Amino acid sequence: MAAFQLSAQGIRDSIFHINGVEVTAIPLFEKEYAGMKMTRVDTAYLEGKATLSLSDLLSEHTSVFIKNYGRGALATASFRGSAPSHTQVLWNGIQLNSPMAGMVDFSLIPVYLIDQLTLFHGPSSLDNGGGGIGGAIHIQNAAHWEGPPSVRYIQGIGSYSTFDEFLQLGVGSGKWRVQTRLYHNYSKNDFTYVNTGIGNLDPVTGKISHPLEINENAAYRRYGVLQEIYYRPRANQVFSFKYWGQFADRSIPRPTSYEGPDHSNLNNQQDMDHRVVADWHHYGESGKWMARTGYARKNLDYNQQNLVPGLGLIPVVASRSIQQALYHTLAYTYNPASGFSVKGKMDVTLHDVSSQDSVSLTGYDQHRYEVAMLLSARKNLADRVNLNVMLRQDWIDGQRAPFSPYLGFDIKLIDGKELLLKGNLARNYHHPSLNDLYWQPGGNPGLVPEQGFTMETGLEYRVVLAGQLIRTEMTAYRSDIRHWIIWIPGFRGYWEPRNIERVRSTGLEYALHIQGHIGGFGYKLMGTYAYTRSVNYGDPLVWGDHSYGKQLVYIPLHSGNLMVRVSFREWYVTYQYNAYSERYTTTSNDLSGRYRLSPYFMNNLTAGWSIHLKRVDVNTELRVYNLFNESYHSILHRPMPGRNYSLVLMIKI
Amino acid sequence: MTRNVLIFVLVIQLIPCCMRENDPVGPEGPGDSLSRGVFIVNEGNFTFENASLTYYDIESGEATQDVFFSANGLPLGDVAVSMTIRDSLGYVVLNNSGKIYVLHTGSFALKGKITGLTSPRHVHFISDTKAYVTDLYARSIAVVNPLTMEVTGNIDVSNNQDEFGQHSTEQMIAYGGYVYTNCWSYDNQVLVIDSGTDRVVDSIEVIKQPNSMVMDRNHSLWVLSDGGWMGSPYGYETPGLVRVDAASAEVETILRFAEGDRPTSLRINETSDTIYFINRHVYRMSVDPVGEPVIFISSPYEEGFWGGFYGLQVDPVTSEVYVTDAIDFSQPGVVYRVAPDGQPLDTIRAGIVPGALCFTP
Repeated sequence: MAAFQLSAQGIRDSIFHINGVEVTAIPLFEKEYAGMKMTRVDTAYLEGKATLSLSDLLSEHTSVFIKNYGRGALATASFRGSAPSHTQVLWNGIQLNSPMAGMVDFSLIPVYLIDQLTLFHGPSSLDNGGGGIGGAIHIQNAAHWEGPPSVRYIQGIGSYSTFDEFLQLGVGSGKWRVQTRLYHNYSKNDFTYVNTGIGNLDPVTGKISHPLEINENAAYRRYGVLQEIYYRPRANQVFSFKYWGQFADRSIPRPTSYEGPDHSNLNNQQDMDHRVVADWHHYGESGKWMARTGYARKNLDYNQQNLVPGLGLIPVVASRSIQQALYHTLAYTYNPASGFSVKGKMDVTLHDVSSQDSVSLTGYDQHRYEVAMLLSARKNLADRVNLNVMLRQDWIDGQRAPFSPYLGFDIKLIDGKELLLKGNLARNYHHPSLNDLYWQPGGNPGLVPEQGFTMETGLEYRVVLAGQLIRTEMTAYRSDIRHWIIWIPGFRGYWEPRNIERVRSTGLEYALHIQGHIGGFGYKLMGTYAYTRSVNYGDPLVWGDHSYGKQLVYIPLHSGNLMVRVSFREWYVTYQYNAYSERYTTTSNDLSGRYRLSPYFMNNLTAGWSIHLKRVDVNTELRVYNLFNESYHSILHRPMPGRNYSLVLMIKI
Repeated sequence: MTRNVLIFVLVIQLIPCCMRENDPVGPEGPGDSLSRGVFIVNEGNFTFENASLTYYDIESGEATQDVFFSANGLPLGDVAVSMTIRDSLGYVVLNNSGKIYVLHTGSFALKGKITGLTSPRHVHFISDTKAYVTDLYARSIAVVNPLTMEVTGNIDVSNNQDEFGQHSTEQMIAYGGYVYTNCWSYDNQVLVIDSGTDRVVDSIEVIKQPNSMVMDRNHSLWVLSDGGWMGSPYGYETPGLVRVDAASAEVETILRFAEGDRPTSLRINETSDTIYFINRHVYRMSVDPVGEPVIFISSPYEEGFWGGFYGLQVDPVTSEVYVTDAIDFSQPGVVYRVAPDGQPLDTIRAGIVPGALCFTP
């Protein structure tokens, strides 16, 4: 059954033998993915990281840079040096990007909900949607057809009153599978830190000291449910239905320099999400149908309140927004002969947004109607070359968006070896978000789409060498993005978005994966390195504008991570390292220490014990985050916790 | 295996693991030198806590960046909106930090702080022991004692309206025993406060959103309003300049701008007979006798495109004009220094979003 599911997705596994241990992996040379740079995150790795947020996983494991506003707080992604709205995120085929702001808060996505995670770097995202100038991240859920009813429970207890509970149940027969996941995460998040934003003056010596403070107003709570129902009436047909509901409640800390009244400047954000998606797959002899329909609704409430004596807590911001979307997709893939396939796909999406602030009485009600057509052809030549052509055309509210073509290739350099030369040439675009167009005041309906022209090439290699599985990939890319949108105060006194910058993003991505056994020890090493030069080449505004030719803010030139895991019998130790070079917070790349974030080096260590008792797997882990108890910032003046611990118990029946 | 463990340990040793955040540079200040200077108050970005002070020596033309941080090893805070000097002490209002830092204007050393303020905007001294602090959200003006640096009371400015007109108090100007304060945000009032009793005794209706005001040599109060923004639920009014007789609190004259203009930063010269303001360009206008506004400094930006000029101040001794340009609001801005006859004198690099300017006596 597993083989069916995999072949049904058009992917046939390769099997490797490493010192007698069988390892399955997806083949590299597939015409459907020719020229596409993808990172598939290992399923076992995902399971082990179930208690994390997707933001943590991406920064630990991939070349995506995560801008993190604090523990449990907003986390946005920069893929290949692009803006947060340039990363498209799909959950089982439906978009998670907010139509209002265009971006995704990755801290709100628990890894626990993810069965398959795939990153599509740069224009390879065009296969599943436009707008991913930086790339796309796909989150998939899958039926675990095999096996009897299953139960999985995870309990995490961590520093700062952090509690994570996850329960997963699965039942099914040969035709049905019903899977339910429930979860709850809470953290008081009250770590202590030296607050360098406040200076206390000693009245005698005149010396200034910084107080040791508790990270106040930073608690977060998140709970939700994921319900999946799969029905397979015949071997060549699958229906699925998935519902994901989540509520998140977060307080947002005040500036560290805040010394106003205790009950003022209180900020809170609540996100309530409901997402439903149903799809149907039919696998014919020479073709494959897929139909999908989905609905999403998000209620986002943001409040800022001050205590006014005699009047109580008075809101100064009381923003309520309701974002709804309907998604429909129909796709057909035709395989007239082996070595050739064509695919046609149509998406129709309707977004409806109502955003109102009951204090300023501002807001907007808007909807957007999107139609997208994709036509692709994939050809294998002589079992050595794969070609992939994709032509994408979107219409937004009836207006034709920029045409997005893609041409990609894979060349098997040595017959019989998994050594590929890959490359692609593509154009992509990103439409302004509804806030960009309609925010009050400032929204600019005259904005044009951001357009990216990208080329990339790389080498990918996989080999079993001396009993070790080695996979490595290096990619170089260049992306020119015109009409890049930035918000800036306009002549009328409020912030307005403008298509002003031209950004050229050039970079290098390297990934290495080695696993094997030495004696009784098993080991795994995974690392990525990215060189990202994302530079503004927009017209300088005045002579004093020093932003021309400078790296975009908060994008590190060098970033990398490394994970080493060593296991012996039922014991294992995992060391996780993550580093970024300095990041600028000014568009002029001001070097003064106050406007620059120092290089970031983070070390985490996990020790675990895993046993198999009859039908029960028990796994206990102790995790140490920020091993060297470093004091650091990820965003200017946003405190981050020192060394902290988490104890995780996982039970699987 | 030992060898592998060793390699593992070595690999870990090789990669850098210690973060080092930045230390201050060390104190430096004008000391007791006799040359005059101006503090450029760099507002910084809201919630970024990157406000700073630039000190510019008027005689030598030398600018020193980030003097508060250098002297104290302490960031200034979040959104520095104004600065007032009394004797040798400077009072820097940090709006989103809810406090005022008090520093020595010679050494830039921190001398104290006034905390517990909701959303402070400006400081105005009534006496050595009493000052008022206006506030955007508190619905009151804080009364503070500058000697003890404590809040001693509040002047209630709240009304019972639900939505707009909540009297977000801004600048203050004294006349006789009264203090006039303009209520800028979604409001159209100038409140009159009896500085003996610390109570609101009168109010004057002006054009919507009065953002700044000055008093001329005839004790007329000139109030500049931007009129709000078109489409605002509070309503929009053509922006204008209102002249109020300070003694009678009566509106005398109303001058209107063109619809869609957004005039800000009303300032007056040393002899209190010529006003300056920003309306894309910097304008100058005689108020005694009342003349026509003329462009004094042209904006280097495209029409209607950029915020361009952001803050304006006139040297109270020389009547030289300083206008700030925040560029893209995400890099150190510049300040243009211009002689009263319009001759450019200097261009000064400042910090992030230079806004207010405060001259040493």
